[in-house]
Amino acid sequence: MLEIRNLDVSYGYAKVLHDVSLNIKTGEMVFLIGRNGAGKTTLLKTIIGLLQPQKGSIVYAGKEISNLSPERLYLQGFRYVGQEKKVFGNLTVQENIEIAAFASGEPMDVSLKKITSIYPKIKDFLKTKAGQLSGGQRQILLVGRALVGEPKLLLIDEPTQGLAAIVIEEIIHILDSLKKQVSALIVEQNLSLVKQLSDRIFLLKEGKMVREIISKSEESGIQDLEGYL
Amino acid sequence: MGQDKLFPAQNAELPGAFENITLKENHAVEILAIAVFFLLVTPLLSVHRVTDFMIFCIFAMSFDMLYGYMGRLSFGQMLYLGTGAYGCGLFIKYINGNPLLAIFAGVAFAGLLAMLLGLIIVRTTGACFALINLAFNHIGFFLVLSPLRSITRGEDGFGVSASQIGSLNFGSRPIMYGAVFLSLLLVFYFLRRLTSAPYGIMIRSIKEDETRVRFLGYNTFLYKWLTFALAGTIAGLAGALTALNYNYVNPNAMDVHSNVGVVFACLIGGAGNLYGAILGGVIYMLISNFLAIYIYRWEMFLGFSLLIIVFRFRMGVWGYIQRFWVHKLIPRFTKKEAI
Repeated sequence: MLEIRNLDVSYGYAKVLHDVSLNIKTGEMVFLIGRNGAGKTTLLKTIIGLLQPQKGSIVYAGKEISNLSPERLYLQGFRYVGQEKKVFGNLTVQENIEIAAFASGEPMDVSLKKITSIYPKIKDFLKTKAGQLSGGQRQILLVGRALVGEPKLLLIDEPTQGLAAIVIEEIIHILDSLKKQVSALIVEQNLSLVKQLSDRIFLLKEGKMVREIISKSEESGIQDLEGYL
Repeated sequence: MGQDKLFPAQNAELPGAFENITLKENHAVEILAIAVFFLLVTPLLSVHRVTDFMIFCIFAMSFDMLYGYMGRLSFGQMLYLGTGAYGCGLFIKYINGNPLLAIFAGVAFAGLLAMLLGLIIVRTTGACFALINLAFNHIGFFLVLSPLRSITRGEDGFGVSASQIGSLNFGSRPIMYGAVFLSLLLVFYFLRRLTSAPYGIMIRSIKEDETRVRFLGYNTFLYKWLTFALAGTIAGLAGALTALNYNYVNPNAMDVHSNVGVVFACLIGGAGNLYGAILGGVIYMLISNFLAIYIYRWEMFLGFSLLIIVFRFRMGVWGYIQRFWVHKLIPRFTKKEAI
């Protein structure tokens, strides 16, 4: 579905990603782990079109997409949820969903049904300004909003960062409910979540892809992961 | 990966609270309230003065689309008001005396100019956006003042004498009042519908974080350009009405310094809200019309007021009315209404 080949990405003269290759198959939930500064977020930003690679290619459904803008990628089914948990704070929760529904041409009631199917409690917050939501509620709203339209690939950056344990459980439950239904590349440091949900894990170290673990067949590999974080 | 397979629960019934969701609002009451407000203040002031107030409110709404809704502060909105005024005046002077056609010409001129300049201007943000607008306003001002003097009569300006259409004589104050009154309500209704629609949500989102709006698949340039062109077009309408109201056009219609007035109006009324723009427009016009009688160099008072607003009352008058009154009162009437 998505094939990243030999990607080099730099910020000015500072090279952040070195010859990174990765692939995601349809319906797979792939996790990307690594220490801070390893280049995980840079890789997501490059996929979503915010950064241009110096070398290499990003191929989606057989077509090169590394030169496409974020808005074009959205229309292709890419959904990016950043680690900042930034919602449109001055808009209500309903408006936050509505803006995504309008972009994808999906009727608002269909979008709302989708989001309530994964998080029924959201109906209590629809009229609330999104800026007043807690970090966990914002994250759930962002993940929910990413499901509007016809998402093909979710790119989620540290979905549980800074959240309370009870909210993390909720997020795990939501992501679990999406498994096999939509492909996802998730950057995450929370190993229990990675172990629970991953189909495959890619390990990034100092901008280089050092290891790929197929979760089901490499139990021992998963146990070793803590050493890399 | 089809939709049915993804999210199987989406075909389920909507949970309770969603059943009443309606995304369309009824704006009739709002329009009625504005109409009643202006009709009530007319006997207290004068027909001519209230006509002037309403024209300024149209202008303030155009500016609010740019600044209040889209978060782009412009110091050059007078360019489009002036273009509307000159477009209307020159049409009457050289082409046809029909006032309705002249209004259309003024609006079209301003709209086309905004579309053209918008292609450059909306690529910028922040101080650059404000200053580039100021620069174009300056260019426009000096163009009508000097190089185009042969048709604009430079500093002296020229008279605008529209012909009568049947019994409609735009030289008559009540007729002009009616035309402006109708224009104000139409502009309000149009912008209210627009800002309540997903388009409005989208431009407010651009104000908050344009990059994230792009993540949602929007071509933000297009929407910014459309909003800029729309704001210019509406400012052009205000300009055309000004030309007909005063029967006269001169470079003051494009005066760069007058931009302060509309910025002040939006800030005092409450930016990002059409009611705020109207309220701010009325307050600014009251101050500029009446304070000048009592206070020499009344503009200084405006400066102090602006400082107080910026430091202490950033929500503007309408913002505080909303916070303390509307949000408490309206739920009583709309308890059973949709969320």
